[in-house]
Amino acid sequence: MSYFKSIFFATLFLVFSWFGNSYATNINGAGSTFAYPVYTKWAYEYEKATGNKVNYQGVGSGAGIQQVSQGVVAFGGTDMCLSEQELNKKNLLQFPSLVGGIVLVVNIPGLKDNQLKLSNAVVPKIFMGEIKYWNDPQIEKDNPGLRLPHIPITVVHRADGSGTNWNVTYWLSQISKAWNEKVHYGLSVNWPVGVGGKGNMGVSNYVKQIKGSIGYVEYAFWLQNHLTSVELQNKAGKWVIPSIAAFKEAAAKAQWAPQNGFCQSLAYQPGVNTWPIVSGTFVLIPKKPTLPHKEAAEFFKWGFAHGDKAAESLGYIPLPKNTKDKIIKYLNENKL
Amino acid sequence: MRKRKIKNYIGLSISTISAFIGLFFLFWIIVSLIEKGFHYINWSVFTQNAVSPGDEGGGLKFAIFGQLEVVGLASLLGIPTGILGGIYLSEYGKDSFLSNIIRNVSDAMTSIPSIIIGIFVYALVVVPMGGFSVIAGSIALALLMIPIVISSIDNILKLVPNELREAAYALGAPKYIVIFKVVAKEAIVGIVSVILLAISRILGETAPLLFTSFNSNFESYKLNKPIATLTVTMYDYAMGPYDSWHHLAWAAAIILTFSVLLFNIASRLFSYWRFSR
Repeated sequence: MSYFKSIFFATLFLVFSWFGNSYATNINGAGSTFAYPVYTKWAYEYEKATGNKVNYQGVGSGAGIQQVSQGVVAFGGTDMCLSEQELNKKNLLQFPSLVGGIVLVVNIPGLKDNQLKLSNAVVPKIFMGEIKYWNDPQIEKDNPGLRLPHIPITVVHRADGSGTNWNVTYWLSQISKAWNEKVHYGLSVNWPVGVGGKGNMGVSNYVKQIKGSIGYVEYAFWLQNHLTSVELQNKAGKWVIPSIAAFKEAAAKAQWAPQNGFCQSLAYQPGVNTWPIVSGTFVLIPKKPTLPHKEAAEFFKWGFAHGDKAAESLGYIPLPKNTKDKIIKYLNENKL
Repeated sequence: MRKRKIKNYIGLSISTISAFIGLFFLFWIIVSLIEKGFHYINWSVFTQNAVSPGDEGGGLKFAIFGQLEVVGLASLLGIPTGILGGIYLSEYGKDSFLSNIIRNVSDAMTSIPSIIIGIFVYALVVVPMGGFSVIAGSIALALLMIPIVISSIDNILKLVPNELREAAYALGAPKYIVIFKVVAKEAIVGIVSVILLAISRILGETAPLLFTSFNSNFESYKLNKPIATLTVTMYDYAMGPYDSWHHLAWAAAIILTFSVLLFNIASRLFSYWRFSR
């Protein structure tokens, strides 16, 4: 009998030691795929520095908002900021963590990066299916000297609800009245034409495969996947090419304020050197000063202090110093 | 007479072609997997953990062991429950009203999309527990297994001739002895293959794990914490921007495909081995 007893207690001990609570804290976050590489890189460095583990997973902005509202994760990530009312309703704090650019990419044989110029008048027409071929006079007008082939345009858009979608459709709504009325903007919209790809990777793959296609991806995906980018027009009417410097211009123009949870879109900001499709990515933390939420705030404070280099190496733009200071003050005021 | 023969030939050739189409795609998948992914399999895939995004190298050790843990725990939960349920249906319930209801419900459950099971467990286990965990993932996979095991065990035990049971009763054996020493022994080949097939069924599942066992960037095997699994890691890495991730996703695909294949072949071999004795 005592033999069985000792086996029983040994098993019990094993099972309980399997349940985890060692000295270091372990928290989970979920949301924006856009921010996933940076948060993960920060997390590895943060673990080395403090021993605490932050496990972030890119499940998409929509799922991130839902999971942090249900209290399943310590913090959520979203590329579309929530309004003040929503934040109050869900009892969440919100602040930006990084800025990134979104790039229009095309697959036209023989074309190199930033050779093609697409004006604010042309882009919405392409995405609405009104311009059907690449050698359309409206496109050729802005590109004298560039020989464009007579191949049909295929629009590639995101099939899933995403923050990238929100930012691109918001930008399209800003530059085109017709787009704003017919399609409007959101995490997912009714695209008038085109094929849908799942995630940035799905869009990248379709653009690579389909001759004559046009799509949009986050800067990091453009950097890694050897896609052809195009020149766009900004709010000032100037032609700009996608670059870290042009994204930084947009970040510097942001009027972020803690009153509404720093909610502001960075798309279509003024300035002669500003890239038109720039997006902030936001963090949501429940307004309860308990351990996992405090630890989440600690992680981002650490990232603001030590994470700029890591973010830049992956093609993201760190926040300006004064914005970071505002955020840290905002977190301290809320006891996080 | 001729007409019948022609009909026969047409039927035969259509079914042969269909069989070859099925085989062709299976073969194609395996060949293209090996062709595209085999050179990404190396020792470090099995011995190293994930590295920081954008860095070269890294491996899948954390996800391989994570997968083993989740699938192992799911099997511990699902297989005994399923076998006992199957025994109830075939030996105790037989054709009673209750057991027919159980049969129908479990048949219906086998065709529920696995993502629904994932969402169900998310609402029932993850939200009340306040977080993702190995336990939640294992429960989701166990729920996928149980109906499969129940109906297969039920069918296999029914194949055992009734005369064997009667003979055992005639010798004065109580019912539980009859079931475990006579019926189960007779059907052992079938039971083992059901177990192996049920494991291989859940081995390749991603959808029920996405919102239950979640995923982890760190090596962690705690039962009440999220865990990395091969399937979810493969899904994430395949969708990510970095080439090194895509290579690891190919490696994960090969490991998964061949372990599922191995379980299937093992169940075949086992039954051949038993029958040849």
